[in-house]
Amino acid sequence: MNGADGQALPRLSAADYFVQTWGVLVAAYRELNARKLFWVALVLNGLVIAAMAAVGVDEKGVSVFGFDLPIPLVNTTTYPDGKLYKFIFVGLGVGVWLAWLSTILALLSTASMFPDLASGGVDTMLSKPIGRTRLFVTKFVSGLLFTAVQVTVFALLGFLVIGIRGGSWEWGLFVVVPLMVVFFSYLFSVQAVVGMITRSPIASVIVTLLFWIFVFLVDAGERFTMVGVISARLEIAGIEARMEKVEDEERKSGFTKRRDDRLETLPNWELAHDIFYAVKTALPKTSETAGLTTRALALTTEMPVDEEEQQVDEQERRRRGLFRSEFVSPRKFEAAINQEYESRNVWWVVGTSLGFVGVMLGVGVWYFRRRDF
Amino acid sequence: MVADASQTPERAGPLAIDIVDVTKMYAGRVHALQGVSMQVGRGEIFGLLGPNGAGKSTLVKIMTTIVRPTTATGTILGAPIGHRPTLARVGYLPEHHRFPQYLTGRQCVEFFGAMSLMRRADRKRRAAEMLEVVGMRSWGDRRVGTYSKGMQQRTGLAAALVNDPQLVILDEPTDGVDPVGRREIRDLLVRMRDDGRTVFLNSHLLSEVELVCDRVAIMLKGKVERQGSLHELTHESRRWKITVEGPMPAWVAEFGAAAVDRGRTSVEFKTEDLARVQSCIDRLRAEGLVIVGITETRESLEDLFMRLVRDVDGRVAAVGAGNVNTTMRGAR
Repeated sequence: MNGADGQALPRLSAADYFVQTWGVLVAAYRELNARKLFWVALVLNGLVIAAMAAVGVDEKGVSVFGFDLPIPLVNTTTYPDGKLYKFIFVGLGVGVWLAWLSTILALLSTASMFPDLASGGVDTMLSKPIGRTRLFVTKFVSGLLFTAVQVTVFALLGFLVIGIRGGSWEWGLFVVVPLMVVFFSYLFSVQAVVGMITRSPIASVIVTLLFWIFVFLVDAGERFTMVGVISARLEIAGIEARMEKVEDEERKSGFTKRRDDRLETLPNWELAHDIFYAVKTALPKTSETAGLTTRALALTTEMPVDEEEQQVDEQERRRRGLFRSEFVSPRKFEAAINQEYESRNVWWVVGTSLGFVGVMLGVGVWYFRRRDF
Repeated sequence: MVADASQTPERAGPLAIDIVDVTKMYAGRVHALQGVSMQVGRGEIFGLLGPNGAGKSTLVKIMTTIVRPTTATGTILGAPIGHRPTLARVGYLPEHHRFPQYLTGRQCVEFFGAMSLMRRADRKRRAAEMLEVVGMRSWGDRRVGTYSKGMQQRTGLAAALVNDPQLVILDEPTDGVDPVGRREIRDLLVRMRDDGRTVFLNSHLLSEVELVCDRVAIMLKGKVERQGSLHELTHESRRWKITVEGPMPAWVAEFGAAAVDRGRTSVEFKTEDLARVQSCIDRLRAEGLVIVGITETRESLEDLFMRLVRDVDGRVAAVGAGNVNTTMRGAR
């Protein structure tokens, strides 16, 4: 491109881009530092890890602050190499703290970022040589800093506690940092777009929380219908296996009728599941993303159990629950469900969710670029 | 009268701002700008005047890419409007700006230096210099949220100047600033002009504009009504007023003077022909009248501004009335 004098006009260099991007990130870090919620969340991080460190486990059992707890079958034999701490880290730390409470704090803390960008503060920024797309995306990335810093501190403290208390230096723990940043980006993308359009921090938080509930309900629906499909398939297979062993024609026809009933309902389950699965594919998969930490750390969710108690328990469990069956053992049923979940491709879980983030950012950028300030 | 777009700035050289036929239609068919053309030379202080809603801020925001024009052609510092690297050579202080409250004044100025592509050492040095220039050095390390309005304005000015801009666009720069600060800012604008920078000043304060601007444009209802130097704009209103001791003789009318009432001691000439005024003076002296004063009078910027506002309002009212009559005729 040439200027009015006919000479070629300069272009922005990679160094220019870096200077601006770094400037935005540093300002975002200063903004976080200035927010009380950031420090509250950081202290809570420390408290969650301190609670984990307060748990002691040896070959005899579990203690908290030195007081023995009467929990059977939990000791360093059943949970070697700091496994108990890893369970606490994943179950309580990631599953409850990071995936819920810390995320809500992060959403609250970053709620005003995009409404501020869309209101009075943007004039001077837009008059600078930074494109709106880059400004929006850089601002979005800087909003992820909250989670990145919090989770890094959390993982570091967890790493030290598991190493010191459990004797296992688990570097794989740090996988939680990218996973939780990605997790937060799903919700933050919604908050960014709503904040940009409404210019209201409160509206952006409320809509994001409602969206999260919607995602949760779709996930629950998909899980429920998936369990229905697996249950029906296992039941059919179980009935057919039983039929082969039965000689009595009357009993056989009874089994046939039950199998046909299940065969009749199976397509309904499959259709319902397909619908939920399709909707879920388009949405961010929050719980499955958080669950990837378990997979990354190769932790099974099975707890060690007493075989005798297990038999009693199985008899009891066969008699209750929506998907009770006299043909399929609960353990086999649960194993099939876990297998289905764990067979899901990581790229399907994260890739399609990031696709959603991309679409949301696209909508946000489109709106931001079109808007006059 | 709409200004002639071909009117060029007095100073020679490539133009700092050269925009042609800028229009902006907001949603709801609000025609904020209706074909604005404007030329601002390098190294001058240019004032943009107009009442509220005239389209001044929209025009400034189009030049700084904050608002997208409906149509616009032209250049800023020789590059097409919106050319990003060129924006690094522009400083802008918006009206009612809101800087990040969590940053200190120094961090704020440095941040906008970074946005203007300045390297770290440069922006640190310039930020310190600019805070000194605007009298905020001792407050530089306190958060912007603790500043008074005037202090925020001074910090904004420092942020607008940190990148050593060739073109400075200031929207109400003295808003909220005390009289001493206003004077300092005016002096600063003059110094920038003397350094060869262009200052584009958008202000309601006519007296302020009159004090520092080399050229002005007056916008009314989305159009540039007049633009030019203060001399050019007020030239046609120039009058010569002669005052004598005793009554002014009636014959002065023969020299083209305005009619003189019986008993008045002064007369006004609205003419470019100074020879006629001179002849009148000669005859007054020849007839032994004592001339106690000869003064040149012309409209102040404020008078011109108010007259234009009244003219445009009158035109709009006339057009409106015409429309009503047409409608009424159509209804019969």
